[in-house]
Amino acid sequence: MLPFGIEYYRPDTIDEALKLYRRLRENHQEPVFYGGGTELLTRARLQNVHFDAVIDLKNIPEVRVHGRSGDWLEFGAGLRLTDLADGNLWPLLTATADRIADHTTRGQITLGGNLLSTIPYREASLPFLLMDEAEALVATEDGIESRPLANLVSDSFIKPGEFLVSVRVKGDEAKGIAYRSRKMTRQDWIDYPLVTVAVTRRADGSLRAAFSGWAGFPFVSSAVNHILSDTGKSARRRAQEAVAHMPVKALEDLHGTREYREFVTEYTLAQIIDELEDD
Amino acid sequence: MREFTRPEQISLSINNEPRNVVVYPGETLLYTLRGDALGLTGAKPGCENGDCGACTVLVDGVPVKSCLVLTAEIEDRDITTVEGLNQAPIQQAFLDHMAFQCGYCTSGFLMVGHALSQHVDRADEDRRIEWLRSNICRCTSYQEIADAVAAACNGLD
Amino acid sequence: MKIIGTSVPRKEAPNKVTGRARYANDINVPGTFHAVMVPARQAHAQIIAIDTDEAKKVPGVKAVITGKDLSVLSGDVMEDRPPLARDKVRYWGEPIALVVARDEAAARRAAGLVQARYQPLPVINSIQDALDKKAALVHQQNGSYTVATPPVYPKKHSNIADEANVTKGDMDKAWKDSDVKVKVHVSLPQIDHAAMEPRIAKAEILADGRVLIHASTQAPFEVQKLLAKYFKLNPGQISVTAPLVGGAFGGKAGVQLEILAYVASKAVGGQMVKIVNTREDDLATSPLGMGFEADIALGASQDGRIKAAEMRFFMDIGAYADSAPRIARAIAAQCTGPYAVPNVHTDVYCVYTNHTYTTAWRGFGHMPMTFAVERAMDELAEALKMDPLDLRELNAIRPHDVTPTKARLTRSNLGDLPKALTHMRQLIGWNGGRVEALGPGRVRVQGVAAFWKTSSSPPNAVSGALITMNSDGSVNLSIGAVEFGPGTKTTAAQILAEQLRIPLDRVFIHEDVNTQVDPEHWKTVASLSTYMVGRAVLDAAKDLMTQMLMVAASVLKCSPDDLDYGDEKIYVRDDPSIYLDFKDLALGYKYQEGDSIGGQLMGRGKFMIRHLNLLDQQTGHGRPGPAWTVGVQAVEVEYDQNTHQYRILKAATVIDAGKVLNPAIASGQVMGGMNMGLGVASREGIFYDSDGRLLNNQLRLYKLMRMGEQPKQYLVEFIETPQVDSAFGARPIGEHAVLAIGAALANALSRAANVSLNMLPITPEAIWRARRAR
Ligand SMILES: Cc1cc2nc3c(=O)[nH]c(=O)nc-3n(C[C@H](O)[C@H](O)[C@H](O)COP(=O)(O)OP(=O)(O)OC[C@H]3O[C@@H](n4cnc5c(N)ncnc54)[C@H](O)[C@@H]3O)c2cc1C
Ligand code: FES
Ligand code: FES
Repeated sequence: MLPFGIEYYRPDTIDEALKLYRRLRENHQEPVFYGGGTELLTRARLQNVHFDAVIDLKNIPEVRVHGRSGDWLEFGAGLRLTDLADGNLWPLLTATADRIADHTTRGQITLGGNLLSTIPYREASLPFLLMDEAEALVATEDGIESRPLANLVSDSFIKPGEFLVSVRVKGDEAKGIAYRSRKMTRQDWIDYPLVTVAVTRRADGSLRAAFSGWAGFPFVSSAVNHILSDTGKSARRRAQEAVAHMPVKALEDLHGTREYREFVTEYTLAQIIDELEDD
Repeated sequence: MREFTRPEQISLSINNEPRNVVVYPGETLLYTLRGDALGLTGAKPGCENGDCGACTVLVDGVPVKSCLVLTAEIEDRDITTVEGLNQAPIQQAFLDHMAFQCGYCTSGFLMVGHALSQHVDRADEDRRIEWLRSNICRCTSYQEIADAVAAACNGLD
Repeated sequence: MKIIGTSVPRKEAPNKVTGRARYANDINVPGTFHAVMVPARQAHAQIIAIDTDEAKKVPGVKAVITGKDLSVLSGDVMEDRPPLARDKVRYWGEPIALVVARDEAAARRAAGLVQARYQPLPVINSIQDALDKKAALVHQQNGSYTVATPPVYPKKHSNIADEANVTKGDMDKAWKDSDVKVKVHVSLPQIDHAAMEPRIAKAEILADGRVLIHASTQAPFEVQKLLAKYFKLNPGQISVTAPLVGGAFGGKAGVQLEILAYVASKAVGGQMVKIVNTREDDLATSPLGMGFEADIALGASQDGRIKAAEMRFFMDIGAYADSAPRIARAIAAQCTGPYAVPNVHTDVYCVYTNHTYTTAWRGFGHMPMTFAVERAMDELAEALKMDPLDLRELNAIRPHDVTPTKARLTRSNLGDLPKALTHMRQLIGWNGGRVEALGPGRVRVQGVAAFWKTSSSPPNAVSGALITMNSDGSVNLSIGAVEFGPGTKTTAAQILAEQLRIPLDRVFIHEDVNTQVDPEHWKTVASLSTYMVGRAVLDAAKDLMTQMLMVAASVLKCSPDDLDYGDEKIYVRDDPSIYLDFKDLALGYKYQEGDSIGGQLMGRGKFMIRHLNLLDQQTGHGRPGPAWTVGVQAVEVEYDQNTHQYRILKAATVIDAGKVLNPAIASGQVMGGMNMGLGVASREGIFYDSDGRLLNNQLRLYKLMRMGEQPKQYLVEFIETPQVDSAFGARPIGEHAVLAIGAALANALSRAANVSLNMLPITPEAIWRARRAR
């Protein structure tokens, strides 16, 4: 139950949504774009966020695309996480997204909502961060703009009044890659991650890793990828060095201490490297 | 575009019956169902945060945590609540396996179990567990619930 | 007729699978006002001012109440808790104001606008902080509060709210006689009850002065008495209804929201007001289960006989005493666990901290106490190089032994622990506690722990039963015990059906309790309902049958002694063809001519606990409960020595149930208890930050066991040593399966990880830390 009143809008086109946002702002209202609502509703209940209108994007066809378009594999921001798993167009994305929250809730969380969530984890972003070519299609006043998803966590990724329409990766790149995605938690299957690690191994043997839960935002690090790809060293050794060279310090919170996060990340990376290089 | 800016009478399809009810734009489905007009109090508030699953209902046959969805979002969809289960196999299975104690979590588990048994082909054990993890029961050992849902899915008891 | 001992379904089962079972929040009167608490956002601070002006301006808000408006201090043992913080706040979630409004949204909005200004005080964030000589005092007034239910011994100018001691034998000699000594320090965080139904209360004050309360409570009669006392009302004016309760676990035995609901209703002219906890309130504002530290020292002779037990228990009771002093006495009375220990010295301290206050939690202190003792037992086994199960068998307490408080034990009041231990060997396939290698870094291991518990009820606890007959000869049963899951009502109905020799579906029992119509029942706690209600039902059944036989005897022109009954008939024993149907007598017997005798038949039954006493202040000696329930629990775990992750394969309980009244419900209770105990042991715990803020006030972060995480296999076995003064010999079993299972897990994992795991919860990180700290 929301402690304050809101207006609800469900536009049918991108244009309608953009214009609506502008109109509401001009009316001195505070609109938000609304995906699955799982975050907006829970935060609003606790009065951690305030808005007075929601713009539900899920009825806009472009926001619900799910499939190939030319070279691209395209995923609408309004897809539910369970849609991703059911379609399973990109197994790495399925593997990561299917460990977020619980099954029922995954039927409500949208891809866009998770990517743009204000919580630190945004686990669905990891597969995208591992790609050379991963783009966001963003609806702006000036039309649809494509932006590299590598910038997802920067403040300016999406400006007020813009919204995420879909994300896409190159089909060949995405599917021709060996991968592992592992969510490590304090103890429970259903929990926020202590650390979630997604790793890809390309045809040339190079490894890349993306992390959620380690810091206040998901990330990849080229330095870490470089270390991981040094096949001259044992998996264990690489994992150790990678952990020692992370770009930010590990979080220390109720899921686990910094040192324990390091320990878990290290053995998880080592296991994954072994598995990927054995395949 | 659907514009819903003030309380409105809308028509919802609940348990295969059209129900007219006045709804606020910001109302969660849980709130609408339990309100005085519908009085469907089978769905329970346990956290209103998506964590416990006591509020689970089916929307087009799929389990949904009704505390995390606005009624406005699903006004043209089919809603099934525990009150709409009509001697469903899952109910008998819960009775047979004594899959509840206090009963507060039961409606939510029943709805997930019903969806598994009615709408999923070959809901194997892994899938059943994965769906049922969405809900919390503080009283039982979960084994009773797992057994009941397995029975309903396999048509055994 | 065989109803006792059969797995009949719960009476209310059909309602629970159709959404028709109604809990307190499901029964609503249109127009009900809503009250919302404003929680403190400091753990320890002087209140300088609370500004309610903005809140009052919100449309629909009818009243904003603060501690200044109330003079009441509450507490069932010691009256130390203002229902709304006054002068200072003592924990982070403490309610500082109450907003009453026409609707919930307005109340919540307004609650967000109440502004408090504080002068922060040093936060007492642990038992250690509290015991420091220079510690700030959580209660300056400690020692001068009104004592509502003695005994309680607060220490002035300290954070010690109470102290209980037990001594027995000669400690000096005992230590001299001990060849082997072990010492264990355990530390457990506060935990939550986490019943799926959040706490709720509704209050209405009628124009005629009657006060109607509806609440999710285990203690409707306590609510009635305390409200009468606090607000100077006549108990008869107050009618408390407890509908079906959605889980309780001790957390609904205290009185909190009921007081606030009453105050709120009063503020709006007696209108019906509802106050419902959000999950956040339920975790941070309403009481939790205590945190705990203990130092246990055990001494034994070389052959494994325990000679000495010296123990200090410290309870993190949080900011208010609530039932902690009673729990302290329960711990003291059972402090040795179910073992015969000739020499005992135990001190139990209730320690005030700036944590959320605490109340009873399933097992009434026995779970943490058992954890401490059973960890020490395993350390002792290790030191003696003995099989842990053998050590327990050797020392198991038996009839003719005396408890630490010198209560005499008999076969009836104790049951048969040695037998339970023997059965456990079979049940789990005990391997002696060996660590078995499964593969690189993977091991399998078992752990065992035993428990005992008695009720620790007040010596004057009462229960009652009323039976009325319907025109068709069926009966209605009315009892004062609340139904929150364990099947209390069903069991009572089974006992009555068995006694009257009628089918169970001829006994009608209403799901709710109403203090105005149902006979008094102390509280639905301590797993005592079957014992107390059972006895009352037997008494009522006897009363009913006596009356029915009297009337039948006059109709049939014989002595009542000539009559017997069965099949809803009263018949002449030597010629059953001469009979009357129950239905012909139910509302009075009508002769053919029309004249009638008898009137409606009603059976009255009552029961009062007997032979208990308060424990002596110096020695702790006394009799704490009518009987004990004993049992043993074990787990089998697979553990990964590299990642410290583990999976529980088996969880087993052998419990002396006296007599199993309903096998399916009983094993459900035991399995559910094991699951809860394992959840506590493996993941649960309240986190506070360095400022005393409670960090995990949501189920997102306060983790509970979920589907798939439970043991792969549950094994339950009952043994039956009758408790002769109980209906059909049944012993309480409702709480017990949580008691030792966590200790069994810790014992198993300590061996698997080769490090003492003396803290909970045992997460992989906890094991990793313990190993690194070695
Ligand atoms: C029970 C539960 C468990 C959870 N567990 C996890 C977990 O394990 N891991 C994890 O990563 N997360 C977890 N979450 C958090 C979850 O990720 C967020 O609640 C979710 O991602 C939000 O998605 P949504 O579609 O519901 O977003 P909404 O609540 O609709 O929106 C979230 C934010 O994104 C914005 N937004 C949404 N869509 C768009 C768009 N298309 N364009 C622009 N802005 C948009 C909104 O304005 C809002 O600020 C959990 C949540 C719940 C309820
Ligand atoms: S009330 Fe909806 S998930 Fe708990
Ligand atoms: S039966 Fe009580 S919570 Fe599941």
